[in-house]
This record gives sequence, structure tokens and C-alpha cells, in this order.
Amino acid sequence: MLLEVHDLHVEFGTRDGVAHAVNGVSYRVDAGETLAVLGESGSGKSVTAQAVMGILDTPPGRITGGRVLFQGRDLLRLKEEERRRVRGAEMAMIFQDSLSALNPVLTVGDQLGEMFTVHRGMSRRDARLRAVELMDRVRIPAAAQRVGDYPHQFSGGMRQRIMIAMALALEPALVIADEPTTALDVTVQAQVMDLLAELQREYRMGLVLITHDLGVVADVADRIAVMYAGRIVETAPVHDLYKAPAHPYTRGLLDSIPRLDLKGRELYAIQGMPPSLTRVPPGCAFHPRCPLARDVCRTDVPPLQAVQGPGAEEGERASACHFWRECLHG
Amino acid sequence: MADPTGAAEPTDATPNVSQVEVADVHSEAEAVAALDAKVDRGEPILQVRDLTKHFPLTQGVLFKRQVGAVKAVDGISFDLYQGETLGIVGESGCGKSTVAKLLMNLERATAGEIFYKGQDISKLSGKALKAVRRNIQMIFQDPYTSLNPRMTVGDIIGEPFDIHPEVAPKGDRRRRVKELLDVVGLNPEYINRYPHQFSGGQRQRIGIARGLALNPEVIICDEPVSALDVSVQAQVINLMEGLQNEFNLSYLFIAHDLSIVRHISDRVGVMYLGKMAEIGSDEQIYEHPTHPYTQALLSAVPVPDPEAREHRERIILTGDVPSPANPPSGCRFRTRCWKAQDKCAEELPLLAIPERFKDSDTPAAHESACHFAEEKDVVNAA
Repeated sequence: MLLEVHDLHVEFGTRDGVAHAVNGVSYRVDAGETLAVLGESGSGKSVTAQAVMGILDTPPGRITGGRVLFQGRDLLRLKEEERRRVRGAEMAMIFQDSLSALNPVLTVGDQLGEMFTVHRGMSRRDARLRAVELMDRVRIPAAAQRVGDYPHQFSGGMRQRIMIAMALALEPALVIADEPTTALDVTVQAQVMDLLAELQREYRMGLVLITHDLGVVADVADRIAVMYAGRIVETAPVHDLYKAPAHPYTRGLLDSIPRLDLKGRELYAIQGMPPSLTRVPPGCAFHPRCPLARDVCRTDVPPLQAVQGPGAEEGERASACHFWRECLHG
Repeated sequence: MADPTGAAEPTDATPNVSQVEVADVHSEAEAVAALDAKVDRGEPILQVRDLTKHFPLTQGVLFKRQVGAVKAVDGISFDLYQGETLGIVGESGCGKSTVAKLLMNLERATAGEIFYKGQDISKLSGKALKAVRRNIQMIFQDPYTSLNPRMTVGDIIGEPFDIHPEVAPKGDRRRRVKELLDVVGLNPEYINRYPHQFSGGQRQRIGIARGLALNPEVIICDEPVSALDVSVQAQVINLMEGLQNEFNLSYLFIAHDLSIVRHISDRVGVMYLGKMAEIGSDEQIYEHPTHPYTQALLSAVPVPDPEAREHRERIILTGDVPSPANPPSGCRFRTRCWKAQDKCAEELPLLAIPERFKDSDTPAAHESACHFAEEKDVVNAA
């Protein structure tokens, strides 16, 4: 297994008290696999990724428990020096906002080349050549001429390609993409997702795709982990989850997608709003919004338990709902 | 909340057109009646003709001279009818938000006319403009920056009454504001709270209440739900549809989320680089698009159905949208179009029903600005 996250806990000290951003998240990603982590803002999907990458701001953040096994090594026990060698070379990240993720006063050639001078000890001249190759690889037209340009001289789609090039520069085994296409227009988004999927196949990388877009997930993911209020509430292979969700939150999200045959009717809407992380409801965090909620949901936190569903093999599906059977079949 | 459709009863006796069309069509006769209801839309409440906005590009500090212009909106025309929703879709930079600002008279049009009930409002000023503005209101995209953090909710929603005191006399305003809070599904007791005490979805409700304060007839919605969480978007869309039925509002609904636009719109216009590429009923645009850009846009939208991903035919466009300061000659889309020929560079295609479909009554017979318009159903292509 390439990456295994075990029972990860992250909290933040805020003015309103301790915010429990991640409350026992576990997931795993295999080589060549795409895991989509789906969640709304505040669900903890990005914080989990930052903890895995080791780029969490501490303080105010604090990892209070759990393990992150990357190719068998527990990353949380590594020294910062060792961590830095892993980051970039063996695991890399693609960020949502390419304009703020790139350094505005360095040319893209310098920023791409830095990967090779720092991690591989190459000369600046060689690194420059590799930068041009990479830009070709992500299909930036006239790469040799544009290698000396600054980030602001590129369009949003082209900048996101540069981010991808930078992440893939050292052929890492794992890439975490945090909303890589959210800031892009649909026609450009399609180009970028296509490119990312193609490069992933070629390098057999594990890909963790963080998103809130059910459409993007359906297009590229193999498996999904749905997060709510810092917990994973459901994991399943992508086809099973869309066919028969085993958690009321997932069902609610799928039902609120506008559908053709229901045009002119009221959309299904999940009531209420996501909870504040400083005051996560007791029991199941989703219970105040859940149509299936009963007394046990208000007191007992439902564990992530195996789901035997239609077509699901042993251990493939799990749901953190006391009444997942009801949800799955109705 | 067991049956989400059960709560969808229209609160007003006058049913909304789209509801008649789809939800309650049982027999053929009813279907025909619904179609008739659609054809008979009466006079448009808003008519936009050749609307143009060029932002000048200048050079020099002391002696500024114009060196060019960003052609944000370059001659677009459409009608908006009473009680209907016209969706406008397009990518960033296509000029859809500039259209919104022009309709609100927040920007002055370079050329063209906007008729509100037959009166050209694009050149009005002073009192006359103020009177018209009462009837055209706007809901903004970002519920965080569009509400003044130092004002209470009561002051924000009541501010339109300061400008148009004839709508609500001074002593009556708090009662009106409480009513409005109730209408948008917020607790009227919250009248003294500040925006930061609300979530994104609640803030957007406050923005909607402000938009409703003056009983407008037209509401321009510029990406009203794109800043909201997925689980909250549906609530706000339902609220907006309910209000439309209740007050017979006309919406110009600008968004980039094509599935939401389809859900809420009676008609849809597709914009590209300051021009209207195609316009028609939601079914005509989504099921029978004839403009290659519309087809590419629809095919690029991720569909939330993993079964579809193997069968779907996707048109992946190359390159980016050209700069509106220096748009291509002829058809704006030709630099990214797979059908482009010499004619496209020389001759600007006009927005009209394509010649070949003119005499047929197929759904492909709607306005499309392409020399080589041809039908292609990309959504259901399997």
C-alpha cells in the first residue's frame, strides 16, 4: 500500500476555542489509484492533506494523534530534514490557486528548475533544460520561448499546467491535488483533468483528488471518501457510491443535484448548514440535518463499519451511519 | 423532509410557466396547453438591443490616449419576459457580468439600448433613472463582500427604503424588514444581528431579502449560489424559485454551473467573448445545441454519473479564450473551433435561426451565431 492514513486527528487553537478539524480520519491509496476525497468547506479534507504532506501550519494547527504510513514509513515520526526530502521528490501537491502558489517574482523556468537543483543537485543550465522538457510534457505551446516568462504572463489553465509539471517533475509516487480545477473554466478544466489523468496512468502514481464537485469525482475517481465535519462518513468504489449511497449525507448530496426529469420541481435540499468545528454536535455530527436521525444518533458516534451492499466485495465499502442499511435500501 | 417534492406547492394562485410545463403535464391536451402558455408570453419586460460596452485601454500619464478597447460586451440582444428566468452561461471573461452591470446601469453602455417596458433606460439619469432602478434589483455572487460588516441586518435590508421612501413610510420599515426576513426563511428576531453572525447561505438570503425590499419586477442574479456549499446551494435555489412564483419575478440568472442554470431557466443564452453564441429554450440549448461552442461547453461539463464516463463523447477544446482586447476577426470562436473555415475569419456570423432549419419545426430551429450550425446532442450522446 502506497499511503495509509490511520486515525488522524488535527485540531486548531482559535479564539472561539479548539476547532476539531480532523477527527480520526483513515484512508489508503494504492499505486496507480485515484482516491477522491469529497467534502464541503470545513469538512477537513484539505487539512488532512496538509497533515499528510507535512505542510500544516503548527501552530495554530496540532496533530494530536494518528499515523501516516507512506511506503511503510510513519511520516509523522520523521525529522523535518527527512520530511523535506520526501516532500516534492516522493510525494507532491497541486494547489487550487496557481497564482498564489507560484512565486510572482521568479520565472516559471526558475521555479520548475529549482526542483532539480535542490533535490537532484543539477546545474542551473541542466535544470533549465529539464524545465523546458516538463513544460512540453504538460503541453504548454512554445515551451522554449516561454520558460523565461513570469507566472502572471500565463493564463489560468496554463499556470495550472505549470503546477502539474512542478508536482510531477521528480516523478513522485503520490500526488495530492487539492481542488486542482476549481478556479478554471469548464472547457479548460476538461483539458487539465484529462492531462492529469493521462500523466497519472503513465507514471502509475497514486492520486488523492480533493474536491467538492460530484461531477469531477464521477469522471476520474476509482474510490471515494466522503468527509463531513472532520470525519469520513462513507468510502466506496465510485460506481457503488453513485448507485446506492450508504450514508444519508452522501444520499442528500446526490439527491440535490438538479436532474432533468425533475425540472420545475423543488430541488431536494439538505436542511440546515454544516456545523462549526468548535461545536461539533455530539454523537453523529450529521444528526441535526439527517432525515433518519434517532436518539442513538444524538449520543453515540457511529464508527465507520463495513457495508455489504450490491456488488460490494468484502471490505470495499464502509459507512459511518447507525442506519446504513436503511439508507442503502431506501 | 421525507418527501422533498411534497413541500413544493406553489404559494400563489398564478402558477409559474415552467411548473405547468414539466411537473403537471399528464395528458397530451395539457401538454399542448402548456406549450401555448409558453408561446403567449406577452410583451417582454426587458428588451436588450445591440448592447455594447468597450472599456478603453489608455497609454501615457499626462496625455492619456486611447490605444484600444476591451470589448467586454460587443453587441448582444435578448428579451426577458414577465415571470420567466433567462439563464446566461459562459466562461470567465465572456462578458456576462458586464451585461448585469449594464442592465443595472452601474456601467454606461458604449452603444445599444435597454428597453424596460418599452422605455430606453440605458441613457436615463437622475430622477428617471432612480424610478426605473426600483424595479430592477440585483443579487450578488459573494455574500461575504456584498454585505457591509458594520451594518445590522435590519439596516442592510432597510437601506433601499432610505433611497425610495415612498415604498415604506418611516414608521413601517422595521415591520417590513421583519416580513422580508420571514419571506426568505430567516428568523425575524435576527434583525439586530451583524452579517458575520450568519453562515454563507444565510447571508445570501439576506442579500435576496435586500433585493426584494422594493418589490422589483426584474432581479439580476450574478452567480447567486456559486460561493455556497453544495448542500446549501439547493436551499437557495428553491428559495429563489419559490419567490419567483410568489411575486411573479423575472430573473436574469447568470451562472457558470450549467446544471443549475438548466434547472432554473426557461430560456438560456450562451455567451462567448462578448457575443451571444446561441439562445433558445432550455431544451433547445441542452438537447439540440447547434453552435459548436455550446456543444463543447456541454460536453466538457463533468456529469455526476460514473456510468456515463466511458460512453460520453467529449469535445476537448484546445487553447484558451482569446483576449477581448484583441478578439479574432469574423467569428469569435473560430480560433478554437474544429469546423472553422475561411468564411469564419471573414464574415461575422449573425445570431439568427440557421437557414437550413428555418422552415422546419425541429428544436434545432433556434437562434445560433454559426455559419455551419448543425445539431448535435452531446448530453445524451451514448
